[in-house]
Amino acid sequence: MPTRNTSPVVRPGNPGRAAEGGTKERARHGAARRRGRSERLAPYVLIAPAVLIIVALRLYPLALGVNFSFTGDGDANGTAVGFANYLELLDDPLFQTALANVGLLVLLLPVAVAIPGLLATFIYLKVPGHRFFRSVYFFPAVLSPVIVGAIFNLMLAFDGPLNEFLGAVGLGPVDWLGDPGVAKFAVVGVQIWATFGMALVVFLAGFATLDSSLLDAARVDGASLRQSIWHVIIPSLSQTIQFVFVTTMIGMLTSMFGLLYVMTSGGPEGSTYLPEYYIWIQQGQMNRPALASAASTVLFLIMLVVGLLQISVLRRAGRED
Amino acid sequence: MRRLAKWVVAVPMAILALATIYPLVFTANVAMKTRREYVLDRFSLTDTLHWDNIVTAWGSVGMARYFANSLLVVAASVFLLLLLGSMAGFALSRLPFRGSKALFIGCLAALFIPFQVIMVPLSRVMADTGLIDTYPGLILAYVAQFLPFTVFLMTSYYRSVPKEIVDAARIDGNTVYGVYRRIMVPIGRPALLSVGILDALFCWNDVIIALLMMPSADHRTLMVGVTSLRGQYTDNVPTFASGVLIAAVPVLLVYLFLQRQIADGVTAGSTKG
Repeated sequence: MPTRNTSPVVRPGNPGRAAEGGTKERARHGAARRRGRSERLAPYVLIAPAVLIIVALRLYPLALGVNFSFTGDGDANGTAVGFANYLELLDDPLFQTALANVGLLVLLLPVAVAIPGLLATFIYLKVPGHRFFRSVYFFPAVLSPVIVGAIFNLMLAFDGPLNEFLGAVGLGPVDWLGDPGVAKFAVVGVQIWATFGMALVVFLAGFATLDSSLLDAARVDGASLRQSIWHVIIPSLSQTIQFVFVTTMIGMLTSMFGLLYVMTSGGPEGSTYLPEYYIWIQQGQMNRPALASAASTVLFLIMLVVGLLQISVLRRAGRED
Repeated sequence: MRRLAKWVVAVPMAILALATIYPLVFTANVAMKTRREYVLDRFSLTDTLHWDNIVTAWGSVGMARYFANSLLVVAASVFLLLLLGSMAGFALSRLPFRGSKALFIGCLAALFIPFQVIMVPLSRVMADTGLIDTYPGLILAYVAQFLPFTVFLMTSYYRSVPKEIVDAARIDGNTVYGVYRRIMVPIGRPALLSVGILDALFCWNDVIIALLMMPSADHRTLMVGVTSLRGQYTDNVPTFASGVLIAAVPVLLVYLFLQRQIADGVTAGSTKG
């Protein structure tokens, strides 16, 4: 594919002799020369609005925010304070909790990936009702975290259905959203409930590319289900599994705001803080935009690691195509 | 797996399916109860459907206004996203030009900037340009947020369109813009549908961008409206549940009719590099 043109009348990106012939023919007219220039600029015209918006409203704010994070708040607004905001962050117990909760999410990540993976395996193996299960499981994934959070506010209320059910079998009651030791697990549980369908669908797309004769061969050789999963499914789907790991992690880091906002407001006792909620509070409630920017930069660094991982996965996927 | 084993597995899966549906059924049921019924017994199925809660939530609580706001903002955002995304996707996939690779990688990189990371400076940029608390401001914020994803998926889709189709259209005398309008838009329809539904869901479901960009009460989108219900109607659970139901039903309908396209959009990113 030609990437640049030496002759000014030949339109860019016009491979093939026939096309060049057509251009030469038209070049006799003056109009065609003007058109040639407009044609050459066309790719830039087509992409300009997207580039402008992405640069002005995503990349520029990113740079601006990093810059903010080294300035002061309030009276010190605009003056350089070096790493003072970052030091304050590390000292803030709420931010420490937020980072510790990120650690908790990383620890729970294998569970959040294994559940949809296992369910996808059973759906792929066509357990009775697999089509129905697929539709039902996927549904919560399209609901807003706000709606999910609002629904679970009702479900997990101290006098709500879940405690009632537990009471009926002789357990509980548990203060799901009021006990600092329980609330974070409750929120993560709801997050998994709300997103496992997304991962499930990705897994099923991976299964669609799986060579079913491999599984048949394993079965003929007398492999148990566990052996089949371990020795056939996991190696064949390694790429899908990596993709799900990374997207689930990104989802946990950036899409739990709605749940936190509706279900716990970061409480009880600040136990359900995540970096994104901390940023929101410092910016909107505490009027500390520079401190919030420092927290944003920390979150961005975490995301960068996850993102680079993802790009390398995508690259590998591209190469193997 | 043996036949019996499949049935054994199907039982917990059915219970899980029930646990997935039940919270919604419970909410819908509560929305149909009177306050008194709810306090006396929150679990039993109502024998009479009380639509008054829905009417109250829709009318006096202001969900109608929020609903209209959301509809307007989502429609405009999705239109712009698809227009700009398909233009850029066409250029990046089928028009070789200097710097196209760098732009594509830049776009991929922008995918990994979550809104939380840029929300402080972005709100300042929006305030400085007078776009904060305006519909164009929120629409622009949504377009900026979801454009990298849209461009990425449209580019991968257009890469699967045979180059010969584009070349043939050029030989027939079409300008680049003509090829875009007459070939790429119609041929991209399945991708535009999938990506468009996903973008619509993202915008409709968003709360953080709307909270930040639209501070005044009558500019609330539906999701922000639902969060405000929580403070106002803590002791009137049926009205609260009605508001939640109003916000959930459009998504439920889209899901029932367009489940395939949603799944296609979600998985497109996982299989295409």
